[in-house]
Amino acid sequence: MGGQGLPINGEVPLSPGRGCPRRRCDAGVTMGIQLLDALAAKMRWDQQRQDLLAQNVANSDTPNYRGQELEPFAVGDGSGRLPAQEVAMLDTDPRFFQIGGGADGTAKPGQQLSFEVTPEGNGISIEDEMMKVSANQMDYQMVTSLYTRSVGILRTAIGRA
Amino acid sequence: MSDFNNSLVIAASGMHAQSARMTVIAENLANVDSAGKTPTDTPYRRQVPTFKAVFDHELDATKVQIGKVAYDMSDFQERYEPGHPAADARGYVRYPNVNPQIEAMDMREAQRSYEANLNVVQATRSMQGQTINILKG
Repeated sequence: MGGQGLPINGEVPLSPGRGCPRRRCDAGVTMGIQLLDALAAKMRWDQQRQDLLAQNVANSDTPNYRGQELEPFAVGDGSGRLPAQEVAMLDTDPRFFQIGGGADGTAKPGQQLSFEVTPEGNGISIEDEMMKVSANQMDYQMVTSLYTRSVGILRTAIGRA
Repeated sequence: MSDFNNSLVIAASGMHAQSARMTVIAENLANVDSAGKTPTDTPYRRQVPTFKAVFDHELDATKVQIGKVAYDMSDFQERYEPGHPAADARGYVRYPNVNPQIEAMDMREAQRSYEANLNVVQATRSMQGQTINILKG
């Protein structure tokens, strides 16, 4: 895992101090694929989250078990948006912008602060987990629809609708 | 690479643990009147299921397992039934320390937890279906 091969991570090095015209030209070509990569990363994240939620629900009666949660999904600069390659700002100083970096969709699980803890030390609220499961499911549905749609757009572009 | 099967296996472990708990509750409820035959007989003692979180290295996740089934060591109930063969010199019979209402609540809780796990299975299955739908375009 580790999101290898994702161009989201800013694998295209940005030469400091000046704009990179070549990169800007490429951006238009790779944009669609990059979107697919981001969607795939989000799907992986949802999948991992589903694992954790299943774990929380299964252990809803285990003494001393505290719920776990993933770090929020983030692509690119962490704002949840794809790095704006098409209209990238010219960075005149390397300290101004750090495009890419981090956020490859594999978040680290962490302990969850629970709303209530039972006397036996269990911090899972089934209602909460159910809400998260359905939210995760809806998220996933959205991502798969977007993926299908993006592939459709590519298909249109190559003239095979 | 994790896939949705992990979620399914974990949820299945939860369902398994809850059904084991249900078995213990059924035993308790069935034996609610199991007093002994003689005054020296020990009546049925209530059993308590315990759960433990078990880390599965293959799945790289924490499953749940039913732990040791412990005995509830609280006092037996005593009822005044002088005609009963198990009545002691005072006319009291020792009955199991099972409270049907507590068992009923436990049963409801087990049922709810089971349903929650089932919900996870259904949600996961639908997510798997959506993944397959990508292939259909």
